[in-house]
Amino acid sequence: MAQGPVIKVRDLVVGFGDQIVLDHLSLDVKEGEILGVVGASGAGKSVLLRTIIGLLPRRQGSIEVLGVDLDKANEAERRALERRWGILFQQGALFSSLTVRENVQFPMRENLVLSPRLMDEMALAKLEMVGLAPDDMNKYPAELSGGMTKRVALARALALDPEIVFLDEPTSGLDPISGGDFDELIRTLQQTLGLTVFMVTHDLESLYTACDRVAVLADGKVVAEGPVEAMLECDHPWVQTYFKGKRGSLLADRQLSA
Amino acid sequence: MLFADMLGAVGVAAIRVLARPREFRLTSTVNQLDRVAWRAVPIILLITFLIGGIISQQGIFHFRKFGAELYSVDLVGILVLREIGVLIVAIMVAGRSGSSYTAEIGSMKMREEIDALRTMGFDPIEVLILPRILVLIIALPVLTFLGCMAALYGGGLVAWLYGGISPDIYMARLTEAISLTHFKVGMIKAPFMGLVIGVVACAEGLKVKGSAESLGLQTTASVVESIFLVIVLDGLFAIFFASIGM
Repeated sequence: MAQGPVIKVRDLVVGFGDQIVLDHLSLDVKEGEILGVVGASGAGKSVLLRTIIGLLPRRQGSIEVLGVDLDKANEAERRALERRWGILFQQGALFSSLTVRENVQFPMRENLVLSPRLMDEMALAKLEMVGLAPDDMNKYPAELSGGMTKRVALARALALDPEIVFLDEPTSGLDPISGGDFDELIRTLQQTLGLTVFMVTHDLESLYTACDRVAVLADGKVVAEGPVEAMLECDHPWVQTYFKGKRGSLLADRQLSA
Repeated sequence: MLFADMLGAVGVAAIRVLARPREFRLTSTVNQLDRVAWRAVPIILLITFLIGGIISQQGIFHFRKFGAELYSVDLVGILVLREIGVLIVAIMVAGRSGSSYTAEIGSMKMREEIDALRTMGFDPIEVLILPRILVLIIALPVLTFLGCMAALYGGGLVAWLYGGISPDIYMARLTEAISLTHFKVGMIKAPFMGLVIGVVACAEGLKVKGSAESLGLQTTASVVESIFLVIVLDGLFAIFFASIGM
Protein backbone atom coordinates (compact mmCIF):
# COMPACT_ATOMS: atom_id res chain seq x y z
CA MET A 1 0.00 0.00 0.00
CA ALA A 2 1.42 3.33 -1.06
CA GLN A 3 2.10 5.82 1.68
CA GLY A 4 0.12 9.01 1.80
CA PRO A 5 -3.51 9.67 2.45
CA VAL A 6 -6.02 6.89 1.80
CA ILE A 7 -8.66 9.41 0.83
CA LYS A 8 -7.52 12.61 -0.81
CA VAL A 9 -10.11 15.27 -1.52
CA ARG A 10 -8.93 18.41 -3.32
CA ASP A 11 -10.77 21.60 -4.12
CA LEU A 12 -14.17 19.88 -4.08
CA VAL A 13 -17.26 21.85 -5.14
CA VAL A 14 -20.68 20.28 -4.85
CA GLY A 15 -23.97 22.08 -5.26
CA PHE A 16 -27.63 21.61 -6.04
CA GLY A 17 -29.20 24.27 -8.23
CA ASP A 18 -27.84 27.67 -7.13
CA GLN A 19 -26.98 26.40 -3.70
CA ILE A 20 -23.33 25.55 -3.13
CA VAL A 21 -22.99 22.98 -0.36
CA LEU A 22 -19.29 22.24 -0.48
CA ASP A 23 -17.10 25.14 -1.56
CA HIS A 24 -13.52 24.28 -2.54
CA LEU A 25 -13.11 21.75 0.22
CA SER A 26 -9.90 19.78 0.74
CA LEU A 27 -9.47 16.92 3.15
CA ASP A 28 -7.10 14.00 3.75
CA VAL A 29 -7.78 10.78 5.58
CA LYS A 30 -4.68 8.90 6.68
CA GLU A 31 -4.30 5.17 6.66
CA GLY A 32 -5.57 3.41 9.76
CA GLU A 33 -7.16 6.40 11.45
CA ILE A 34 -10.71 7.15 12.51
CA LEU A 35 -11.69 10.54 11.18
CA GLY A 36 -14.83 12.11 12.62
CA VAL A 37 -16.55 14.69 10.44
CA VAL A 38 -18.83 17.05 12.34
CA GLY A 39 -20.76 20.13 11.43
CA ALA A 40 -24.13 21.80 11.83
CA SER A 41 -27.14 20.10 10.28
CA GLY A 42 -27.10 20.87 6.60
CA ALA A 43 -23.41 21.75 6.61
CA GLY A 44 -22.83 19.05 4.00
CA LYS A 45 -21.36 16.17 6.02
CA SER A 46 -23.47 13.51 4.35
CA VAL A 47 -23.08 15.25 1.01
CA LEU A 48 -19.31 14.99 1.40
CA LEU A 49 -19.55 11.29 2.21
CA ARG A 50 -21.91 10.59 -0.67
CA THR A 51 -19.70 12.53 -3.07
CA ILE A 52 -16.61 10.58 -2.06
CA ILE A 53 -18.34 7.26 -2.68
CA GLY A 54 -19.61 8.51 -6.02
CA LEU A 55 -23.34 8.82 -5.35
CA LEU A 56 -23.44 12.56 -5.94
CA PRO A 57 -21.92 14.41 -8.88
CA ARG A 58 -19.37 17.11 -8.20
CA ARG A 59 -18.83 20.34 -10.03
CA GLN A 60 -15.14 20.72 -9.52
CA GLY A 61 -12.19 19.18 -7.75
CA SER A 62 -10.72 15.72 -7.51
CA ILE A 63 -11.20 12.76 -5.23
CA GLU A 64 -8.68 9.97 -4.85
CA VAL A 65 -9.54 6.87 -2.83
CA LEU A 66 -6.84 4.25 -2.23
CA GLY A 67 -4.79 5.90 -4.93
CA VAL A 68 -7.54 5.63 -7.55
CA ASP A 69 -8.79 8.83 -9.13
CA LEU A 70 -12.53 8.41 -9.52
CA ASP A 71 -12.58 10.51 -12.67
CA LYS A 72 -10.02 8.43 -14.48
CA ALA A 73 -11.11 5.01 -13.28
CA ASN A 74 -12.83 2.79 -15.81
CA GLU A 75 -15.69 0.51 -14.83
CA ALA A 76 -13.51 -2.44 -13.84
CA GLU A 77 -11.28 -0.25 -11.66
CA ARG A 78 -14.31 1.31 -10.03
CA ARG A 79 -15.80 -2.07 -9.24
CA ALA A 80 -12.49 -3.24 -7.83
CA LEU A 81 -12.40 -0.13 -5.67
CA GLU A 82 -15.97 -0.65 -4.50
CA ARG A 83 -14.93 -4.06 -3.24
CA ARG A 84 -12.34 -2.43 -1.02
CA TRP A 85 -14.74 -0.18 0.88
CA GLY A 86 -17.77 -0.76 3.03
CA ILE A 87 -20.50 1.74 3.71
CA LEU A 88 -22.88 2.02 6.63
CA PHE A 89 -25.80 4.22 5.63
CA GLN A 90 -27.67 6.39 8.08
CA GLN A 91 -30.73 4.14 8.20
CA GLY A 92 -28.78 0.96 7.60
CA ALA A 93 -30.15 0.49 4.07
CA LEU A 94 -30.47 -3.25 4.59
CA PHE A 95 -32.23 -5.01 1.73
CA SER A 96 -35.68 -5.43 3.19
CA SER A 97 -36.56 -8.50 1.16
CA LEU A 98 -33.54 -10.46 2.41
CA THR A 99 -32.87 -11.93 5.85
CA VAL A 100 -30.01 -10.77 8.05
CA ARG A 101 -27.88 -13.68 6.85
CA GLU A 102 -28.62 -13.00 3.18
CA ASN A 103 -27.91 -9.32 3.67
CA VAL A 104 -24.46 -10.02 5.07
CA GLN A 105 -23.82 -12.64 2.39
CA PHE A 106 -24.98 -10.42 -0.45
CA PRO A 107 -21.61 -8.82 -1.22
CA MET A 108 -19.86 -12.20 -0.88
CA ARG A 109 -22.33 -13.99 -3.12
CA GLU A 110 -21.89 -11.45 -5.86
CA ASN A 111 -18.15 -10.98 -5.72
CA LEU A 112 -16.66 -14.30 -4.64
CA VAL A 113 -17.19 -17.92 -5.49
CA LEU A 114 -17.80 -19.69 -2.20
CA SER A 115 -19.68 -22.76 -1.08
CA PRO A 116 -22.91 -22.07 0.80
CA ARG A 117 -21.47 -23.60 3.96
CA LEU A 118 -18.43 -21.39 3.92
CA MET A 119 -20.60 -18.35 3.30
CA ASP A 120 -22.80 -19.29 6.26
CA GLU A 121 -19.75 -19.58 8.46
CA MET A 122 -18.39 -16.26 7.26
CA ALA A 123 -21.72 -14.53 7.79
CA LEU A 124 -21.91 -15.98 11.29
CA ALA A 125 -18.39 -14.80 12.05
CA LYS A 126 -19.15 -11.28 10.83
CA LEU A 127 -22.34 -11.13 12.84
CA GLU A 128 -20.58 -12.34 15.96
CA MET A 129 -17.93 -9.74 15.41
CA VAL A 130 -20.52 -6.97 15.64
CA GLY A 131 -22.18 -8.63 18.61
CA LEU A 132 -25.29 -10.29 17.21
CA ALA A 133 -26.65 -13.64 18.35
CA PRO A 134 -26.88 -16.53 15.84
CA ASP A 135 -30.68 -16.59 16.44
CA ASP A 136 -30.99 -13.26 14.69
CA MET A 137 -29.57 -14.62 11.43
CA ASN A 138 -32.91 -15.53 9.93
CA LYS A 139 -34.81 -12.41 10.90
CA TYR A 140 -35.89 -9.82 8.37
CA PRO A 141 -34.72 -6.20 8.69
CA ALA A 142 -38.24 -5.11 9.66
CA GLU A 143 -38.01 -7.29 12.78
CA LEU A 144 -34.82 -5.68 14.05
CA SER A 145 -34.39 -2.82 16.51
CA GLY A 146 -32.51 0.32 15.49
CA GLY A 147 -29.30 -0.76 17.15
CA MET A 148 -29.43 -4.24 15.65
CA THR A 149 -30.10 -2.79 12.20
CA LYS A 150 -26.94 -0.69 12.49
CA ARG A 151 -24.95 -3.70 13.64
CA VAL A 152 -26.17 -5.83 10.74
CA ALA A 153 -25.41 -2.99 8.35
CA LEU A 154 -21.92 -2.79 9.80
CA ALA A 155 -21.50 -6.55 9.40
CA ARG A 156 -22.54 -6.20 5.77
CA ALA A 157 -20.14 -3.29 5.27
CA LEU A 158 -17.37 -5.53 6.64
CA ALA A 159 -18.39 -8.58 4.61
CA LEU A 160 -15.61 -8.31 2.07
CA ASP A 161 -12.95 -7.27 4.62
CA PRO A 162 -12.70 -3.72 3.31
CA GLU A 163 -9.82 -1.34 3.87
CA ILE A 164 -12.01 1.71 4.38
CA VAL A 165 -15.33 1.94 6.16
CA PHE A 166 -17.63 4.92 5.68
CA LEU A 167 -20.07 5.47 8.50
CA ASP A 168 -22.95 7.91 8.15
CA GLU A 169 -24.09 8.87 11.65
CA PRO A 170 -23.55 5.41 13.11
CA THR A 171 -24.84 6.34 16.56
CA SER A 172 -27.79 8.55 15.63
CA GLY A 173 -31.06 7.16 16.90
CA LEU A 174 -29.36 4.88 19.41
CA ASP A 175 -29.71 5.26 23.15
CA PRO A 176 -26.52 6.46 24.89
CA ILE A 177 -25.57 2.95 26.04
CA SER A 178 -25.93 1.35 22.59
CA GLY A 179 -24.25 4.39 21.10
CA GLY A 180 -21.32 3.96 23.48
CA ASP A 181 -21.12 0.25 22.66
CA PHE A 182 -21.11 1.06 18.99
CA ASP A 183 -18.24 3.53 19.38
CA GLU A 184 -16.27 0.94 21.24
CA LEU A 185 -17.06 -1.66 18.59
CA ILE A 186 -15.79 0.59 15.84
CA ARG A 187 -12.65 1.36 17.82
CA THR A 188 -12.00 -2.36 18.44
CA LEU A 189 -12.59 -3.28 14.83
CA GLN A 190 -10.33 -0.50 13.64
CA GLN A 191 -7.55 -1.68 15.96
CA THR A 192 -7.88 -5.39 15.16
CA LEU A 193 -8.52 -5.14 11.43
CA GLY A 194 -6.45 -2.04 10.70
CA LEU A 195 -9.38 -0.26 9.09
CA THR A 196 -9.48 3.33 8.01
CA VAL A 197 -12.76 4.83 9.17
CA PHE A 198 -14.48 7.90 7.78
CA MET A 199 -17.27 8.75 10.19
CA VAL A 200 -19.90 11.45 9.83
CA THR A 201 -21.41 12.14 13.21
CA HIS A 202 -23.37 14.47 15.46
CA ASP A 203 -22.38 12.68 18.57
CA LEU A 204 -19.84 14.47 20.76
CA GLU A 205 -19.26 11.34 22.77
CA SER A 206 -18.22 9.45 19.62
CA LEU A 207 -15.67 12.14 18.89
CA TYR A 208 -14.09 11.77 22.29
CA THR A 209 -14.16 8.00 22.56
CA ALA A 210 -13.70 6.78 19.00
CA CYS A 211 -12.05 9.34 16.79
CA ASP A 212 -8.35 9.94 16.26
CA ARG A 213 -8.94 13.14 14.39
CA VAL A 214 -11.85 15.48 13.87
CA ALA A 215 -12.66 17.61 10.86
CA VAL A 216 -15.23 20.38 11.33
CA LEU A 217 -17.32 21.37 8.34
CA ALA A 218 -18.79 24.87 8.16
CA ASP A 219 -19.53 27.26 5.32
CA GLY A 220 -18.74 24.50 2.83
CA LYS A 221 -15.15 24.14 4.00
CA VAL A 222 -13.13 22.31 6.62
CA VAL A 223 -12.70 25.04 9.22
CA ALA A 224 -10.79 23.02 11.79
CA GLU A 225 -8.93 19.75 11.66
CA GLY A 226 -7.00 17.85 14.30
CA PRO A 227 -7.39 15.82 17.48
CA VAL A 228 -10.38 16.60 19.69
CA GLU A 229 -8.26 18.45 22.25
CA ALA A 230 -7.11 20.88 19.56
CA MET A 231 -10.72 21.71 18.78
CA LEU A 232 -11.12 23.37 22.15
CA GLU A 233 -8.51 25.92 21.12
CA CYS A 234 -10.01 26.68 17.74
CA ASP A 235 -11.65 30.09 17.56
CA HIS A 236 -14.22 29.51 14.82
CA PRO A 237 -17.58 30.50 16.38
CA TRP A 238 -19.41 27.30 15.48
CA VAL A 239 -16.56 25.13 16.78
CA GLN A 240 -16.56 27.15 19.98
CA THR A 241 -20.29 26.68 20.61
CA TYR A 242 -20.17 23.04 19.62
CA PHE A 243 -17.27 21.94 21.76
CA LYS A 244 -17.68 24.46 24.57
CA GLY A 245 -21.45 24.41 24.80
CA LYS A 246 -23.08 22.87 27.85
CA ARG A 247 -22.80 19.27 26.79
CA GLY A 248 -19.45 19.81 25.13
CA SER A 249 -17.72 21.24 28.21
CA LEU A 250 -19.17 18.57 30.44
CA LEU A 251 -17.68 15.88 28.25
CA ALA A 252 -14.41 17.72 27.80
CA ASP A 253 -13.95 18.05 31.57
CA ARG A 254 -14.70 14.42 32.11
CA GLN A 255 -12.42 13.23 29.33
CA LEU A 256 -9.51 15.47 30.18
CA SER A 257 -9.61 14.79 33.90
CA ALA A 258 -9.92 11.03 33.33
CA MET B 1 -35.76 10.16 -15.03
CA LEU B 2 -37.59 10.53 -18.29
CA PHE B 3 -39.29 7.67 -20.07
CA ALA B 4 -36.72 7.79 -22.88
CA ASP B 5 -33.77 7.86 -20.45
CA MET B 6 -35.13 4.83 -18.66
CA LEU B 7 -35.77 2.98 -21.92
CA GLY B 8 -32.20 3.72 -22.97
CA ALA B 9 -30.73 2.63 -19.64
CA VAL B 10 -32.72 -0.61 -19.75
CA GLY B 11 -31.60 -1.22 -23.32
CA VAL B 12 -27.95 -0.76 -22.36
CA ALA B 13 -28.36 -3.07 -19.37
CA ALA B 14 -30.02 -5.68 -21.58
CA ILE B 15 -27.13 -5.59 -24.04
CA ARG B 16 -24.64 -5.91 -21.20
CA VAL B 17 -26.49 -8.90 -19.80
CA LEU B 18 -26.67 -10.47 -23.25
CA ALA B 19 -22.89 -10.20 -23.43
CA ARG B 20 -22.51 -11.83 -20.01
CA PRO B 21 -25.57 -14.05 -19.58
CA ARG B 22 -24.22 -15.49 -16.33
CA GLU B 23 -24.91 -12.19 -14.61
CA PHE B 24 -28.59 -12.39 -15.42
CA ARG B 25 -30.76 -12.53 -12.29
CA LEU B 26 -32.64 -15.75 -12.87
CA THR B 27 -33.93 -16.25 -9.31
CA SER B 28 -35.29 -12.75 -9.11
CA THR B 29 -36.90 -13.11 -12.53
CA VAL B 30 -38.64 -16.37 -11.63
CA ASN B 31 -39.85 -14.85 -8.37
CA GLN B 32 -41.26 -11.84 -10.20
CA LEU B 33 -42.85 -14.07 -12.82
CA ASP B 34 -44.69 -15.88 -10.06
CA ARG B 35 -45.98 -12.62 -8.61
CA VAL B 36 -46.79 -10.79 -11.82
CA ALA B 37 -48.03 -13.59 -14.07
CA TRP B 38 -49.06 -16.66 -12.12
CA ARG B 39 -50.84 -14.90 -9.27
CA ALA B 40 -52.61 -12.53 -11.66
CA VAL B 41 -54.26 -15.40 -13.53
CA PRO B 42 -57.43 -15.74 -11.39
CA ILE B 43 -58.34 -12.05 -11.38
CA ILE B 44 -57.53 -11.66 -15.09
CA LEU B 45 -59.68 -14.65 -15.95
CA LEU B 46 -62.56 -13.35 -13.85
CA ILE B 47 -62.51 -9.81 -15.24
CA THR B 48 -62.13 -10.77 -18.89
CA PHE B 49 -64.82 -13.43 -18.47
CA LEU B 50 -67.21 -10.75 -17.21
CA ILE B 51 -66.24 -8.27 -19.93
CA GLY B 52 -66.81 -10.93 -22.61
CA GLY B 53 -70.24 -11.65 -21.12
CA ILE B 54 -71.18 -7.96 -21.03
CA ILE B 55 -70.15 -7.34 -24.63
CA SER B 56 -72.12 -10.37 -25.70
CA GLN B 57 -75.23 -9.25 -23.79
CA GLN B 58 -75.06 -5.74 -25.19
CA GLY B 59 -74.56 -7.06 -28.69
CA ILE B 60 -77.54 -9.38 -28.47
CA PHE B 61 -79.72 -6.71 -26.84
CA HIS B 62 -79.12 -4.10 -29.53
CA PHE B 63 -78.76 -6.36 -32.59
CA ARG B 64 -82.02 -8.08 -31.67
CA LYS B 65 -83.93 -5.01 -32.91
CA PHE B 66 -82.71 -5.85 -36.39
CA GLY B 67 -83.01 -9.58 -35.90
CA ALA B 68 -79.25 -9.83 -36.17
CA GLU B 69 -78.39 -11.44 -32.81
CA LEU B 70 -75.96 -13.76 -34.46
CA TYR B 71 -73.70 -10.84 -35.35
CA SER B 72 -73.08 -10.32 -31.65
CA VAL B 73 -70.71 -13.30 -31.97
CA ASP B 74 -68.67 -11.39 -34.56
CA LEU B 75 -68.68 -8.40 -32.26
CA VAL B 76 -67.40 -10.40 -29.30
CA GLY B 77 -64.80 -12.28 -31.30
CA ILE B 78 -63.24 -9.36 -33.14
CA LEU B 79 -63.48 -6.85 -30.32
CA VAL B 80 -62.00 -9.20 -27.72
CA LEU B 81 -59.16 -10.55 -29.82
CA ARG B 82 -58.09 -7.28 -31.38
CA GLU B 83 -58.66 -4.70 -28.69
CA ILE B 84 -60.45 -5.40 -25.46
CA GLY B 85 -58.53 -8.51 -24.36
CA VAL B 86 -55.11 -6.92 -24.48
CA LEU B 87 -56.34 -3.54 -23.22
CA ILE B 88 -58.12 -4.91 -20.16
CA VAL B 89 -55.15 -7.10 -19.31
CA ALA B 90 -52.72 -4.21 -19.76
CA ILE B 91 -54.81 -1.91 -17.60
CA MET B 92 -55.16 -4.59 -14.91
CA VAL B 93 -51.42 -5.27 -14.93
CA ALA B 94 -50.62 -1.55 -14.82
CA GLY B 95 -52.80 -1.21 -11.75
CA ARG B 96 -51.67 -4.42 -10.14
CA SER B 97 -47.98 -4.85 -10.96
CA GLY B 98 -47.01 -1.39 -12.23
CA SER B 99 -48.08 0.18 -8.96
CA SER B 100 -46.28 -2.44 -6.92
CA TYR B 101 -43.08 -1.97 -8.96
CA THR B 102 -43.19 1.78 -8.33
CA ALA B 103 -43.89 1.35 -4.62
CA GLU B 104 -41.18 -1.30 -4.22
CA ILE B 105 -38.48 0.58 -6.07
CA GLY B 106 -39.58 3.85 -4.50
CA SER B 107 -39.31 2.53 -0.98
CA MET B 108 -35.93 0.97 -1.78
CA LYS B 109 -34.87 4.41 -2.95
CA MET B 110 -36.18 5.99 0.26
CA ARG B 111 -34.36 3.51 2.46
CA GLU B 112 -31.10 4.07 0.56
CA GLU B 113 -31.13 0.43 -0.56
CA ILE B 114 -30.50 1.51 -4.14
CA ASP B 115 -27.54 3.64 -3.05
CA ALA B 116 -26.23 0.68 -1.07
CA LEU B 117 -26.43 -1.51 -4.18
CA ARG B 118 -24.64 1.09 -6.24
CA THR B 119 -21.81 1.48 -3.73
CA MET B 120 -21.35 -2.29 -3.64
CA GLY B 121 -20.60 -2.14 -7.33
CA PHE B 122 -23.97 -3.14 -8.78
CA ASP B 123 -26.01 -1.42 -11.39
CA PRO B 124 -29.54 -1.08 -9.94
CA ILE B 125 -30.96 -1.08 -13.47
CA GLU B 126 -29.38 -4.47 -14.13
CA VAL B 127 -30.24 -5.97 -10.76
CA LEU B 128 -33.69 -4.58 -10.00
CA ILE B 129 -35.24 -3.12 -13.09
CA LEU B 130 -34.24 -5.30 -16.03
CA PRO B 131 -35.69 -8.52 -14.54
CA ARG B 132 -38.94 -6.74 -13.68
CA ILE B 133 -39.43 -5.28 -17.13
CA LEU B 134 -38.52 -8.55 -18.79
CA VAL B 135 -41.10 -10.32 -16.67
CA LEU B 136 -43.81 -7.92 -17.83
CA ILE B 137 -42.81 -8.46 -21.46
CA ILE B 138 -43.25 -12.20 -20.95
CA ALA B 139 -46.32 -12.00 -18.73
CA LEU B 140 -48.50 -9.74 -20.83
CA PRO B 141 -48.82 -12.00 -23.90
CA VAL B 142 -49.51 -15.01 -21.67
CA LEU B 143 -52.13 -13.17 -19.66
CA THR B 144 -53.61 -11.66 -22.82
CA PHE B 145 -54.02 -15.11 -24.34
CA LEU B 146 -55.70 -16.43 -21.19
CA GLY B 147 -57.84 -13.30 -20.93
CA CYS B 148 -59.03 -13.57 -24.52
CA MET B 149 -60.01 -17.19 -24.03
CA ALA B 150 -61.92 -16.34 -20.85
CA ALA B 151 -63.69 -13.45 -22.57
CA LEU B 152 -64.74 -15.63 -25.51
CA TYR B 153 -65.96 -18.24 -23.03
CA GLY B 154 -67.95 -15.66 -21.09
CA GLY B 155 -69.38 -14.27 -24.33
CA GLY B 156 -70.45 -17.74 -25.40
CA LEU B 157 -72.06 -18.51 -22.08
CA VAL B 158 -74.14 -15.30 -22.16
CA ALA B 159 -75.04 -15.89 -25.80
CA TRP B 160 -76.38 -19.29 -24.83
CA LEU B 161 -78.20 -18.37 -21.62
CA TYR B 162 -79.40 -14.88 -22.60
CA GLY B 163 -79.56 -14.96 -26.38
CA GLY B 164 -80.45 -18.59 -26.92
CA ILE B 165 -77.48 -19.13 -29.25
CA SER B 166 -76.35 -22.69 -28.61
CA PRO B 167 -72.65 -23.39 -28.05
CA ASP B 168 -72.43 -25.25 -31.36
CA ILE B 169 -73.81 -22.33 -33.31
CA TYR B 170 -71.63 -19.90 -31.32
CA MET B 171 -68.50 -21.88 -32.16
CA ALA B 172 -69.44 -22.23 -35.81
CA ARG B 173 -70.19 -18.50 -36.12
CA LEU B 174 -67.02 -17.60 -34.20
CA THR B 175 -64.72 -19.63 -36.42
CA GLU B 176 -66.30 -17.94 -39.43
CA ALA B 177 -66.09 -14.43 -37.98
CA ILE B 178 -62.54 -14.39 -36.70
CA SER B 179 -59.25 -15.25 -38.30
CA LEU B 180 -55.71 -15.76 -37.13
CA THR B 181 -55.02 -12.14 -38.13
CA HIS B 182 -57.33 -10.80 -35.40
CA PHE B 183 -55.62 -12.97 -32.86
CA LYS B 184 -52.17 -11.86 -34.03
CA VAL B 185 -53.11 -8.18 -33.91
CA GLY B 186 -53.95 -8.50 -30.23
CA MET B 187 -50.97 -10.63 -29.31
CA ILE B 188 -48.37 -8.51 -31.13
CA LYS B 189 -49.39 -5.51 -29.04
CA ALA B 190 -49.06 -7.30 -25.71
CA PRO B 191 -45.26 -7.34 -25.20
CA PHE B 192 -44.99 -3.66 -26.15
CA MET B 193 -47.61 -2.77 -23.58
CA GLY B 194 -45.66 -4.77 -21.00
CA LEU B 195 -42.54 -2.81 -21.88
CA VAL B 196 -44.34 0.53 -21.54
CA ILE B 197 -45.87 -0.40 -18.17
CA GLY B 198 -42.56 -1.65 -16.82
CA VAL B 199 -40.51 1.32 -17.98
CA VAL B 200 -43.01 3.83 -16.62
CA ALA B 201 -43.34 2.02 -13.29
CA CYS B 202 -39.60 1.74 -12.72
CA ALA B 203 -38.86 5.30 -13.88
CA GLU B 204 -41.50 6.65 -11.50
CA GLY B 205 -40.12 4.49 -8.70
CA LEU B 206 -36.66 5.98 -9.11
CA LYS B 207 -38.15 9.48 -8.96
CA VAL B 208 -39.31 8.96 -5.37
CA LYS B 209 -37.70 11.41 -2.95
CA GLY B 210 -37.40 11.04 0.80
CA SER B 211 -41.01 11.48 1.87
CA ALA B 212 -43.96 9.12 2.14
CA GLU B 213 -46.03 11.65 0.25
CA SER B 214 -43.77 11.46 -2.77
CA LEU B 215 -44.05 7.66 -2.74
CA GLY B 216 -47.83 8.02 -2.99
CA LEU B 217 -47.59 10.67 -5.68
CA GLN B 218 -45.22 8.66 -7.85
CA THR B 219 -47.30 5.50 -7.49
CA THR B 220 -50.38 7.40 -8.66
CA ALA B 221 -48.39 8.97 -11.49
CA SER B 222 -47.09 5.56 -12.49
CA VAL B 223 -50.55 4.00 -12.85
CA VAL B 224 -52.15 6.99 -14.54
CA GLU B 225 -49.25 7.46 -16.94
CA SER B 226 -48.92 3.82 -17.89
CA ILE B 227 -52.66 3.38 -18.52
CA PHE B 228 -52.62 6.55 -20.62
CA LEU B 229 -49.61 5.39 -22.62
CA VAL B 230 -51.08 1.93 -23.10
CA ILE B 231 -54.19 3.47 -24.65
CA VAL B 232 -52.15 5.85 -26.82
CA LEU B 233 -50.01 2.93 -27.93
CA ASP B 234 -53.13 0.94 -28.76
CA GLY B 235 -54.29 3.82 -30.93
CA LEU B 236 -50.95 4.00 -32.74
CA PHE B 237 -51.10 0.27 -33.34
CA ALA B 238 -54.63 0.61 -34.73
CA ILE B 239 -53.33 3.16 -37.25
CA PHE B 240 -50.38 0.96 -38.07
CA PHE B 241 -52.42 -2.21 -38.56
CA ALA B 242 -54.99 -0.35 -40.63
CA SER B 243 -52.27 0.98 -42.92
CA ILE B 244 -50.77 -2.47 -43.49
CA GLY B 245 -54.24 -3.95 -43.92
CA MET B 246 -54.27 -6.33 -40.95
